[in-house]
Amino acid sequence: MSSSKVRDIVLECRNLSHWFGANKVLKDVNLQVGRGQIVALVGPSGCGKSTLLRAILGTHPPRAGEVLMDGVAYRSPARHRGIVYQRYSLFPFLTAEENVAFGLKLDQTSLAHRSFNYFKWRKLRSAHIEQAGRFLDRVGLSAAKGHYPAELSGGMCQRVAIAQALIMRPKLLLLDEPFGALDEATRESLQLMILQLYEENLQAKERGEPAPHTILIVTHELNEAIYVSNRVLGLSQYHAGGRDGATIVYDKPAPIYRPNEPKDVSHFIEQKEQLLKAVFSPNDIKHHAEFVSFWDDHDRHFASNAS
Amino acid sequence: MLTLALLYTLLSSSRQTAAKRDQQQVAEAKLQELQTEQTLVEERRIQAAELEDDDQRQRQLGRIANDERRISDDIAKFTRLSDAPDKEDLTVPSWKMLYRQGLLRSCTPQGAFQRKEVWITTDFEATLVRLVTALVLGIGASLTLGILMGCFDPLDAFLTPPFALLSKVPATAVLPIFFVLIQINFKLYIAIIVFGMLPSLAQSISASVRKDVPEELIFKAYTLGASQCELIWEVIFKQVLPRVLDAARLQIGPALVLLVAAEWMVAGEGIGYRLRLFYQRTDMTVVFVYVFILGVLGLATDYALIWTRRKLCPWFGD
Repeated sequence: MSSSKVRDIVLECRNLSHWFGANKVLKDVNLQVGRGQIVALVGPSGCGKSTLLRAILGTHPPRAGEVLMDGVAYRSPARHRGIVYQRYSLFPFLTAEENVAFGLKLDQTSLAHRSFNYFKWRKLRSAHIEQAGRFLDRVGLSAAKGHYPAELSGGMCQRVAIAQALIMRPKLLLLDEPFGALDEATRESLQLMILQLYEENLQAKERGEPAPHTILIVTHELNEAIYVSNRVLGLSQYHAGGRDGATIVYDKPAPIYRPNEPKDVSHFIEQKEQLLKAVFSPNDIKHHAEFVSFWDDHDRHFASNAS
Repeated sequence: MLTLALLYTLLSSSRQTAAKRDQQQVAEAKLQELQTEQTLVEERRIQAAELEDDDQRQRQLGRIANDERRISDDIAKFTRLSDAPDKEDLTVPSWKMLYRQGLLRSCTPQGAFQRKEVWITTDFEATLVRLVTALVLGIGASLTLGILMGCFDPLDAFLTPPFALLSKVPATAVLPIFFVLIQINFKLYIAIIVFGMLPSLAQSISASVRKDVPEELIFKAYTLGASQCELIWEVIFKQVLPRVLDAARLQIGPALVLLVAAEWMVAGEGIGYRLRLFYQRTDMTVVFVYVFILGVLGLATDYALIWTRRKLCPWFGD
C-alpha cells in the first residue's frame, strides 16, 4: 500500500515559496494535511502564517511551488475551502440566518436562475433558510436567527461564521485566528465547538465513513493550539536556512481531548516547552526537519498495526 | 422656524411702514404745492375780474374754474393719502400680500382667456419632471460606472483623470456650452444635471467600493461559490448601497441649483422661469411663495431618502 493511500491527503503544499520583493517570507514549505485532521498552525509574529494561509485559500497564490487539493493544483479560492476570519467574518447586510444560507444560495443557484425562475427560487430559498436554521441550532444560536451581525456579540458572530462555512461541507476549513479578539470564557466555549467537530470525525470513522471535518487553524495562543488540535505545526524562520524564509520546523501530534473531558493543562507543559524552543526561540538554530516527525510517526504506527 | 417667521414679519412691516411714510411725505409736499397754486389762482381771478372785454373775461373765468376744480380734487386725493397712505412694498411683502398676490394668484388660473394656467402646477410639474428624470438617470449611470470603476482597475485608470477634471468644473459655467450644443428642450436639462452629478458621484461610489468592502468579504464570497457577477450584485452592491443613497441625497441640492439656473436663462416654463419673470417686476410675492415651497419639498425629499435607506438597509443603522 503506497504511503499516500495510507495517509488520505486532502491538502498538500509542494515546495511552496513566497516573497515580496527582497523580503523572503516562505521557503520550500512542504505540508500534507490528512482527512479528518484538526491542525493548528503556530509561529512567531511576522513569520508568514497569514501568507501561507492565503496561499492555501487560493486568494494569493504562491510565487513558487504549488498547492494541491485532493491531488489537483489550484490558484484561486473555491467553494471546497471554507474560511473564517478574525474580523469581517460575516456579511453585515444579511441576518445571521441569511449569512448561513448565503453559501447555499451562491453555490446552488445562479443570478440568472434567481431572476428568471423567481417562484422556483423562492421555494428553494425557504428550504435554504430552514437548513440554515438547523445549523444555527447546532451552534447554539437559535435565538439570534433574525439578527444582523452588528447586533451580535463577537463570539456569536464567530459561531455564525463557522456555521456559514460548515454548511458548505468544505473539504478543508481554514480558521484565521478565529478567536483572537474574544474574551476567555467565549473563547473556551468556541474551542469546545471545535472539539465537538473532532468528535463528529471520530464518530464517522467508527461508522466507516470519511471524516467530515478537516480543519487548519492559525492561532497565536499555544495552549489553544495544543488543546483543540490533534496535530501542531510550527512555522518559523529560526532554522539553519532561515535567511531564505520561514518553513515548517515543527510537526508533531497533539494530545486529543474529548469535549466532555476536563481540560488538563499539565499535559500541555512539555509540548509547550518544546514548541517555544523549536519555533519561537531565535537563538536555537537547528535543521528545519529536527522536530518534523508527524507523518513518520503516523506511517510507522500504521505499519506496526498492519503487521 | 418661528424665529424666521418673526424676523420676516419685522422686516416686512418695517418695509411697509417705510413705503407708506414715503407716500405720506410726498402727499404732504404735494398739498403744500397745491395751496400755493390755489393762492395763485385767487390772484388770477382778481386780475380776470378787472378785464374790460366781456368775452375774454368769461373765457378766463371758465379756465380758472376748471383749474380750481382740478386743484380741489387733488387736494381731496392727497389729503386722503396723507391721512391713510395705501402704498404697498413688493420687495418684502406683508403676510396678507403673500397670501393674496402670491399664493392665491399662483394657485388660481391666470393669463389671457385663451391660455389660462395655474402657475404652481405647471411650474412645479415641469421642474420636478426634469429633476426626477435626471436624478434617476444620473444616479443609475453613476452607480453602474462607479461600481464598475471600483471593481475593474483599467476602467478606473481610464475614467478617473477626466472625471477628476470634470468634477472640478463648476457646472453653471458649462451652461452656455450646453445651450449652444443642445436645442433648448427637455433633453437639455437632463444633460446638464447628469453632467453636474455624474463625475463626482461616480468617483465617490468607486472610492466607496474600494474602501468600504473589506477584501475578507470578497474572498469569503468566493469560498462560498460566488461568480464575478454575483460578487458584484450580492456583495459589493449591497454593501455600498446605503452609502450611495447618502451620497445621492447630497447631490439633490446641487442638481436643483443647476436646474433653476438653467431654467432662469432659457426656459418657457418651470420654477426658474417664473422666478425670473417676477424678479424683473421686482414683485417678490410669488417668489417668496415659490422659495418656501422649494424648501419644504427639499426637506421632504431628504426625509424620504433617509426613510428609504432605513427600509432598504436596516443593518446600516443611522
